[in-house]
Amino acid sequence: MHETAIVEGLMRILEAQAARHRVARISSVIVKVGRLRAVEPAQLVACFEMFAEGTVAEGAQLKIEAVSVRARCKACATEFEVPRFRFECPGCGGGDVDVVQGQELYIESFEAAERLPSGGVPK
Amino acid sequence: MCDNCGCNVTDGNRHLVEADHRTIEVLEDLLHENDRQADHNRAHFDAMGLLAINVMSGPGSGKTSLLEATIKALPDRVRLAVIEGDLETENDAERIRRHGVPAVQITTGMACHLDAHMVHDALHELDLAKVDILFIENVGNLVCPASFDIGQHCNVLLLSVTEGDDKPAKYPVMVRAADQMLITKTDLLPYIEEFSVRRARDAVREIRSDLPVTELSAKTGQGMGPWLAWLQAMVAERQAKFRRHAQGYSYAPHR
Ligand SMILES: Nc1nc2c(ncn2[C@@H]2O[C@H](COP(=O)(O)OP(=O)(O)OP(=O)(O)O)[C@@H](O)[C@H]2O)c(=O)[nH]1
Ligand SMILES: [Mg+2]
Ligand SMILES: [Zn+2]
Ligand SMILES: [Zn+2]
Ligand SMILES: [Zn+2]
Repeated sequence: MHETAIVEGLMRILEAQAARHRVARISSVIVKVGRLRAVEPAQLVACFEMFAEGTVAEGAQLKIEAVSVRARCKACATEFEVPRFRFECPGCGGGDVDVVQGQELYIESFEAAERLPSGGVPK
Repeated sequence: MCDNCGCNVTDGNRHLVEADHRTIEVLEDLLHENDRQADHNRAHFDAMGLLAINVMSGPGSGKTSLLEATIKALPDRVRLAVIEGDLETENDAERIRRHGVPAVQITTGMACHLDAHMVHDALHELDLAKVDILFIENVGNLVCPASFDIGQHCNVLLLSVTEGDDKPAKYPVMVRAADQMLITKTDLLPYIEEFSVRRARDAVREIRSDLPVTELSAKTGQGMGPWLAWLQAMVAERQAKFRRHAQGYSYAPHR
């Protein structure tokens, strides 16, 4: 269940950001997950719903956007989409590549639904 | 004077009430705290010039047996230490200590992988100044250990012949993260005709063509040579880097 550790990180960020922007409620969150991260979206969502209870993000929708894997061939510099983890350059057939996309695991943005009245204290 | 009809909205507070729906861009890594701690761990290692190796595999592929065989086979001048990660029990650390090598057991309880904070806690039980190679045996699991940086310099991935030659294709993220792959328990090959070393190697090559793959048996010692040579080359490389940086090294993490 490494999804737990990931969601803990997400909640920490959301609570800090909500306090900073004086947000009382978060309605949705967009998270980018590269296909090289071995993260199970359904588990991430289930875990998020659990952790969000009683916080500013309670009831918020977690939108997970998968990021495909892309690589650049070290030999001929061709950049290509990697289908099903076959890291073979379509240009020269070489397999010595740099991964340029697919390792992402970050929060892109969230929707703030209400703003705290000035002077109010974030939950 | 209620919140619904707007009768309490004045020019002074209108922006607070109406700026209702906003998109707030964040762009922060979810594992940021772990990654920061991992960098800190690496700074500990680099300050000592030691090589830290994350040993990963499915449950029971022979990680601890490999470490025991490695302890016996390496020359005494290469000083070793081991951190053992398991859900429960001190068994693996005790197996290592029997060979006279310092070992710290981390029991993760629920967590199916080690993280950088757990490893940092364990570091303080070791005298890193007296270590050339620190092996960190991760929890037996083919999915998530690769996602958590613990400060290692390289990853070793084990696949035992009893697990099936289709495992590289099923766990490509692990293969992608590996710097050395070992096909273990090869003494059992005569009894497991379903396992084709060639098929396993082909599957690895598709995912990571430059990954060195070594076949060995910790039980008989057969094939240990290339693995030991790789280890010693890695240590030499690390120590050369350490000596080059020694003069200009300014950042010393707390001990
Ligand atoms: N035949 C044979 N058996 C082996 C070899 N290496 C390990 N084993 C056996 O495989 C079993 C598991 O070995 P361990 O070294 O405990 O494996 P591990 O990966 O450390 O296991 P966990 O830490 O529990 O994930 C034990 O019964 C070992 O004796 C080998 O080279 N040949
Ligand atoms: Mg073990
Ligand atoms: Zn895990
Ligand atoms: Zn190419
Ligand atoms: Zn420290």
